[in-house]
Amino acid sequence: MEAKPSVAPSSFIDQQVFPGDLVLDLSKMTNQTIKLGGGLCQDGDVISVMKAGKLRFSKPNKYWVESSHKRYVPSVGDNVLGIVVEARADNFFVDIKGPALAFLPVLAFEGGTRRNIPKFETGTLLYVRVVKANTGMNPELSCTDAMGKAAEYGPLKDGFMFESSTGLSRTLLSSPTCPVLETLGKKIAFEIAVGLNGRVWVNATSPSIIVLVANTIMQTESLSPAQQKIRVENLLQKLQ
Amino acid sequence: MKERGEAEDFVTPGEVLGKTSELKPGNGAYVSPQDNTVYASLAGIRSLTPPPPESADLRPTVEVKGHKAHGPVPEPGAIVLARVTKVMAKMASADIVCVGPKSVREKFTGIIRQQDVRATEIDKVEMHSSFRPGDIVKALVLSLGDARAYYLSTAKNELGVVSAESAAGETMVPISWTEMQCPSTGQIEQRKVAKVGA
Repeated sequence: MEAKPSVAPSSFIDQQVFPGDLVLDLSKMTNQTIKLGGGLCQDGDVISVMKAGKLRFSKPNKYWVESSHKRYVPSVGDNVLGIVVEARADNFFVDIKGPALAFLPVLAFEGGTRRNIPKFETGTLLYVRVVKANTGMNPELSCTDAMGKAAEYGPLKDGFMFESSTGLSRTLLSSPTCPVLETLGKKIAFEIAVGLNGRVWVNATSPSIIVLVANTIMQTESLSPAQQKIRVENLLQKLQ
Repeated sequence: MKERGEAEDFVTPGEVLGKTSELKPGNGAYVSPQDNTVYASLAGIRSLTPPPPESADLRPTVEVKGHKAHGPVPEPGAIVLARVTKVMAKMASADIVCVGPKSVREKFTGIIRQQDVRATEIDKVEMHSSFRPGDIVKALVLSLGDARAYYLSTAKNELGVVSAESAAGETMVPISWTEMQCPSTGQIEQRKVAKVGA
């Protein structure tokens, strides 16, 4: 059952791994204290993969599997785009593309008191932060940052929201700025909000610009950085 | 096999058992105030228990024990064992499995509210750090609650999680009143642990 992997761990890092792959052997490693992130599971002395994706490593000892899905698994600290489904006395029920509806307490706003509860209609798009995400329980959200300030959280007015994969969201949020956004930003003025749950909101002065930005982002998802730049420049030339 | 010395009277619901001047109604019997008579409410064997010696009331208690022995039923003040089914932000649901040392025959549901989890700092209780679905808890029945569930409490040292499984599937070992540890992976999980033993 336990096939001793004769490969060193470094050969799996940044490679595509599949469930069942044995990627690390603790008995062969010098530093035996490691931190396992999502997608990895300890089985005695061997670390095996549970989710298909790319194995990533960050110094000094963090390993995790990165994959892109259309479904979102709520996790604490994520900034997501939610849609209000229902308003109750204590909470708003917000859909964040997860397995369960999330609760947004009516007081979780900057300077929120019982007297100035915001009135969100069903269908309002919100930029919110995940505060609690335990398995089996509904996630809890907040429209303030950790200090209690509003900090860009709240309803998003006008614009256009489209849904994509979690991998695209992470690419758009990566630093340094991803090539698509950088190239677009040099020529066009637009506003963008990216949710880690696979939802992206774009706003600009005219609808044609919004459509261009949204289509460009969706079409360049699977291209390499160099290809992205070329493709975006082609599209921009067509516009001008 | 009945070993009591009483005569084995089989009574049916509505049958007259005696007058209130002579008898006190127990389980399975009730008093009709219009005519001060004790009637049976179950079909079963009638039994008389003599009154306790110190009481001022000298009437014996008459009980009707159903021919089908019912399982134990949770009563306020009883210690029960329950398995947690759902954990929510302000309360946890649990299926009552045992009342005292006996297991129940029917399904009873209990609710442990956030303020009944422990005795101190009750507004800072995190339900997810106290119980998880699948935990076995020892709780005290507070009241019959509503039609759906009994109200349970774990607000004592000897009440709380008795047995729990870790995320890896192993039975965890308690290490303090707030933490349990998985023996195979060494991961520590938070629970409201019951104090077992002396």
